[in-house]
Amino acid sequence: MTDQTTNEVPTHAVDISALGRTNEDRQLANEEICLEVKNLQLYYGEKRALHGIDMHIPKNRVTAFIGPSGCGKSTLLRCFNRMNDLVDTCKIEGQILLENENIYDRTVDVTELRRRVGMVFQKPNPFPKSIYENVAYGLRIQGINNKRTLDEVVEQSLRGAALWDEVKDRLHDSALGMSGGQQQRLVIARTIAVKPDVLLLDEPASALDPISTLKIEELINELKSEYTIVIVTHNMQQAARVSDYTAFMYMGDMIEFGDTNQIFTNPNQKQTEDYITGRYG
Amino acid sequence: MNISVKDWYKSGSPWIWLNAGAVALCVIMVVGLLGLIAVKGLGHFWPSTLYVTEYQNRSGDQKTILGEIADSELVSATQLKSAGYQVPADIEYIERDLLKVGNRDVSGQDFLWVLSTSISKQTAPENLIAVERREWGNFYGNLVSVKEGDKVVASVANGGFESTWAALQERIERALAIQEEIHGIEKGDIGSINYGLERLRLKERGLELQGDSDPIKLQSIAEERAGLNAEYEVLKDQLNGLYSQVQRDQLLAKTIDGNEVSMSLSKVVLAYAPNDMGFFDKISHYIGKLGEFLLDDPREANTEGGIFPAIFGTVMMVLLMSIMVTPFGVIAAVYLREYAKQGAVTQVIRIAVNNLAGVPSIVYGVFGLGFFIYFLGGNIDQLFYPEALPAPTFGTPGLLWASLTLAILTVPVVIVATEEGLSRIPRSVREGSLALGATKFETLWRVVLPMSSPAIMTGVILAIARAAGEVAPLMLVGVVKLAPSLPLDWNYPFIHLDRKFMHLGFHIYDVGFQSPNVEAARPLVYATAFLLVLVIAVLNLAAVGIRNGLREKYKSLEH
Repeated sequence: MTDQTTNEVPTHAVDISALGRTNEDRQLANEEICLEVKNLQLYYGEKRALHGIDMHIPKNRVTAFIGPSGCGKSTLLRCFNRMNDLVDTCKIEGQILLENENIYDRTVDVTELRRRVGMVFQKPNPFPKSIYENVAYGLRIQGINNKRTLDEVVEQSLRGAALWDEVKDRLHDSALGMSGGQQQRLVIARTIAVKPDVLLLDEPASALDPISTLKIEELINELKSEYTIVIVTHNMQQAARVSDYTAFMYMGDMIEFGDTNQIFTNPNQKQTEDYITGRYG
Repeated sequence: MNISVKDWYKSGSPWIWLNAGAVALCVIMVVGLLGLIAVKGLGHFWPSTLYVTEYQNRSGDQKTILGEIADSELVSATQLKSAGYQVPADIEYIERDLLKVGNRDVSGQDFLWVLSTSISKQTAPENLIAVERREWGNFYGNLVSVKEGDKVVASVANGGFESTWAALQERIERALAIQEEIHGIEKGDIGSINYGLERLRLKERGLELQGDSDPIKLQSIAEERAGLNAEYEVLKDQLNGLYSQVQRDQLLAKTIDGNEVSMSLSKVVLAYAPNDMGFFDKISHYIGKLGEFLLDDPREANTEGGIFPAIFGTVMMVLLMSIMVTPFGVIAAVYLREYAKQGAVTQVIRIAVNNLAGVPSIVYGVFGLGFFIYFLGGNIDQLFYPEALPAPTFGTPGLLWASLTLAILTVPVVIVATEEGLSRIPRSVREGSLALGATKFETLWRVVLPMSSPAIMTGVILAIARAAGEVAPLMLVGVVKLAPSLPLDWNYPFIHLDRKFMHLGFHIYDVGFQSPNVEAARPLVYATAFLLVLVIAVLNLAAVGIRNGLREKYKSLEH
């Protein structure tokens, strides 16, 4: 990675050209849409946490949500697989369409939705089971217990999460004996084992060391050909490195959403620029 | 160096001293209590020396007695004076010894208090024998002869002590072997024949109640019964033969007063000569007695013999209780913590559950008797065992009801511990499971409950500790002082949950306070108490072992 800590004050906190990004010209309007958010309002009790969000999340791209703490980016992310249902006081208005179907419709099967929209959390949360059983978990709850199918999917998923070579000799050891970075990749493997359409990553590398972070970022790059990825991150360099599109949120509002190159080099909004250049947040 | 009180106080040392003192006090109490019951109880099995004691009794007569020293204590002189003893004026306290003199059949009492000041001579001569009998307690005296029928086989006067003693031991061994055979036939073979006959009777009565008079069925019952009766006749003949064999030999002995006593060897359990025993003889005698205590049935109104049925009953009841209380408590806790809407109602339920733990246990006993036995058991009898009526099957105290009563007595502990465990499972793990498309139930079953298992085991450990020591409710719901058969045997269906059983805690109460022979029973009370503590410790250690295994499995998530 490039050295970010030069002494001179840069115009922009993130030097986008130094990150080795391709400067291909993406157009948000030309992308195929995976998730569509329509006037989404979310309340925690009386408090309104999301103030009418509208956005399109493109298919097979990496979309990053950035913004200061408490701006609602994680809350928005958790709306995509209805994790907010677990919070008793949470109330949601508006719509989110996944492939043109409203996921908040009464007829939607939440467990099926969560299978289609996988999620990886900030802290690695492997189950206290073997590595193999962790990956097979999602299949087992779908009632798939055929050993050959499971073996196949476990290998595929671990390879997909770039973990296979490290763990293939100890598949039946406890997952709790792995390092934090390995655990996080195991959680990703576990998530892709059920073949979701969308991967939600909630600050997936914030609890990890730089090497593990790097591996996770490489993994995200590889996974985006197959999955639509939405990532929440506090780390702007990370957002610039891994994402195709970036959304900047502030106080429950979507301030700006666009191509990552453009957001980091030439933001339209003053607030975005202030945040990116480190003036607040 | 001079440290002011204020500095000393600030340094925290007084707190350290206070805490260490509290811990030390606890340790001293536990060790002291265990030490007391261990010494008092386990010392009982050591073969004590027999003393010939010459002393002056209350009326001033010179007496000679033979016995072992069981106890000694200090009594105040005034107390003795008012009891009619002559006590020197300047002495305030006098030591007195409790001598176990045995021979209850001859003298009528087997314990005697003797003032140590009145003893003129105390010797421990060789060749004194102690005989443990099935009736009348121990016999102490001198060996005279061994007889087979009316014929003298060996006698001390002719052949000397050694050869007579050897002949006696040999014949005792033979008699014991025959006794064992008799016991096997009576308890085992005849026991299962009786069990079979009873089942046939119930079957016949059942057919009668159904109005079924199918001659083929009745015929087969009659045939089976005839078969069993024939078997019984054979066994009875065999038994009669054994009985006449076992009564063949006699032992003739003389008490210290010179009374000759004749004993059939069928009534002798053990004969030993404690004053002639070396240290290793004593150790092997001790181990033998301890083994008998652990593995044999009680004799003589529980004051002699072993307590195996009580150990067995206690362990079995505790295991059954654990099997019942765990799922019940866990399910209740899961509902309270995971499914119920948290609010005033759940809070009230929690308080109620905690208060249940404070209800006097005898109240649970009464509840068990009224609800489980009379109501549930009575209805079960009406529905499923009508052929046995009016004799109750489950409508009477028994193992099942005792275990159930203890299960409801201990369920609050399991609920509280499980709730505590559930609340400690990190949210992130639950969310991880839900995010994979698992339902709440699947998450609970596959992830949360396994992770809470160490906490659940903690609850079970506490439940076991409480249940194993409980006595009061058990008296009402199934424990008896002497159970004729174990709740587990070779007769179908092998586990007899309707049977009454014995329990160590109740055994302590029974032997200590309901026994006709308090002095003889006292050491057994200590020994039984020690054993009960041991059994509870073993049960607890087993549970702790399981818990630690589970903790090890899930440990990385605990912090």
